[in-house]
Amino acid sequence: MNDRIIFEDVSKFYGEILGVNRVNLSIPPGVTSLVGPNGSGKTTLMNLMTGLVRPSRGRIQVLGYTTDDPENLFRVVGYSTQFDAFPKGLTGFQFIYSYLCLSGMPLADAERTARQAIERVNMVEAASRKVAGYSKGMRQRIRLAQALAHNPKVIVLDEPLNGLDPLARAEMIALFRASAAHGSYVIISSHILHEVDAISDQVILLSNGYVVAEGQIQSVRKEIQEHPTQILIRCDRPRELAAKLFEAESTIEASIHKDGQGLLLKTRDADRFYLAMNQLALNGIHIESIAPADDDVLSVYEYLIGNEEVIR
Amino acid sequence: MAVYRRSYKPYSGTLTAEWSRFLVLFRYSRRNLFHSKFLTVFYVLCFFWPIACLAWIYVAHSASFLAKLGLRPEFVAIDNKFFLLFMSVQGVLAFLLTAFAGPSLISPDLANGAMPLYFCRPFTRAEYVLGKSSVLGILLSEITWIPGVILFLIQASFAGASWTWDNFWIAGSLILSSLILIAVLSLLAMALSAWVKWRIVAGALLLAVMSFGAGFAQAINTVLRIEGGHFFDLVYLMATIWTNLFLVDNDRGISAGQAWVAILVYCSVCLGLLLRKVRAYEVVR
Repeated sequence: MNDRIIFEDVSKFYGEILGVNRVNLSIPPGVTSLVGPNGSGKTTLMNLMTGLVRPSRGRIQVLGYTTDDPENLFRVVGYSTQFDAFPKGLTGFQFIYSYLCLSGMPLADAERTARQAIERVNMVEAASRKVAGYSKGMRQRIRLAQALAHNPKVIVLDEPLNGLDPLARAEMIALFRASAAHGSYVIISSHILHEVDAISDQVILLSNGYVVAEGQIQSVRKEIQEHPTQILIRCDRPRELAAKLFEAESTIEASIHKDGQGLLLKTRDADRFYLAMNQLALNGIHIESIAPADDDVLSVYEYLIGNEEVIR
Repeated sequence: MAVYRRSYKPYSGTLTAEWSRFLVLFRYSRRNLFHSKFLTVFYVLCFFWPIACLAWIYVAHSASFLAKLGLRPEFVAIDNKFFLLFMSVQGVLAFLLTAFAGPSLISPDLANGAMPLYFCRPFTRAEYVLGKSSVLGILLSEITWIPGVILFLIQASFAGASWTWDNFWIAGSLILSSLILIAVLSLLAMALSAWVKWRIVAGALLLAVMSFGAGFAQAINTVLRIEGGHFFDLVYLMATIWTNLFLVDNDRGISAGQAWVAILVYCSVCLGLLLRKVRAYEVVR
């Protein structure tokens, strides 16, 4: 499996404190978000992936490389930490350039590559200014440039959207999507759930050091049996529709939308419900739209972890 | 499942030799040090004594000049004591230079949380320590054994082959005594820099370790009526090793072997403290 990031029964303990426990993952290309409350093990998982901490147990492979092989591993991995990690006195360009030199790039290549990375994150004008004078958004972007500079296939970004204004967020998200579209593995940690929803191909939900769910968010939602699926139906005669839907056994609850133009339905069997809806639509009720109301990260997160520290 | 275009192109150029990457740290750290005017001036001042010693060597070999000054040749003899005196003065300057330059080596990286940035690439903790210590190592070499050996070579050129052959060991003593001084000062300064985030406090602590050590050692020796207190005095330990290396008679409280062991223990402790702090991630318990 040289095209995946693989965790095999990985545990990490800091003395008696649990970092992560019994993690088994196989991460494909695309944008993967690590979601969980503070202290759930997101950063530990990222540090394990990048070889910054060693697992107490288990095995990690990143595209076929073990984390004990830094010379090869860090050719394919780029990491941006969540803290303001800038050595003192460097300009944006020097920051990128010096770390490329440290990675083993010859000076001329490092200079050219650093300029390309700075261009990718739209920081050309500020590149010759000291990082200490950057705004929060600029710091995030230059950190991202540092992680992207050597064109790594795996980009690990710890809380990359923290402190960014909406415009900068949109730019960053576009950058993640573009990287993923080029076949990169973009691993992001975040607890800003609506953004996670918008950018992720798959999510890994963590709680207290355990992986509680992983995969595409809709698939994860389907697996959660104890919470009935919520579906929002926009239609012209919601009361009539509600009465008909209650005839189906799987319908648990239906409530009329505030504006009187829709219905929020809870069902145990979404597939049977969709079949039934086809019939109802054919029977003359004008249905404008049908959309799942709780197959987003926020809902899944609340069902599995609870609503602690959720930022909506 | 999304379909991705595989247009990823990694860097495929050559890489620099692994052993040479620590020099990147050296380059940046050294340049940062010399941003300070005070340090630059002090660094220049450190060459005054070697120049004075050079003048001394010249005078020692100039019979007419000696006659003019009314000095006897044996008064200005260039021997092991001369080179020990040279090293003693340069040693003090090296210590002061370390107190100024050392604390700023690691503490800013720790304060800014920059360690993960260094280690999330093919760069090890040992290389980091080597890179940072090379700044002090080379800086202190420039004011200790390098001018020392130059002075020795100049003296050798004046004194002839016979003197050089008889005193060749002095060059070895110059180098070895400098290296042990550099190792102790570098490790101590970096360990303090790693554990004390404030540069000024770290510098003050370095001064304290050197100066209060002597007082503490003296107190122990006086109260307990032993010589073992000297093990707490780094300057005394260093002086014991140096007098032994330069074959200068000096009745010391402890033997050179004991001093060597004590210095090695200090170096090991400093290295242990340093490696405990120089980690990709600090674990908060």
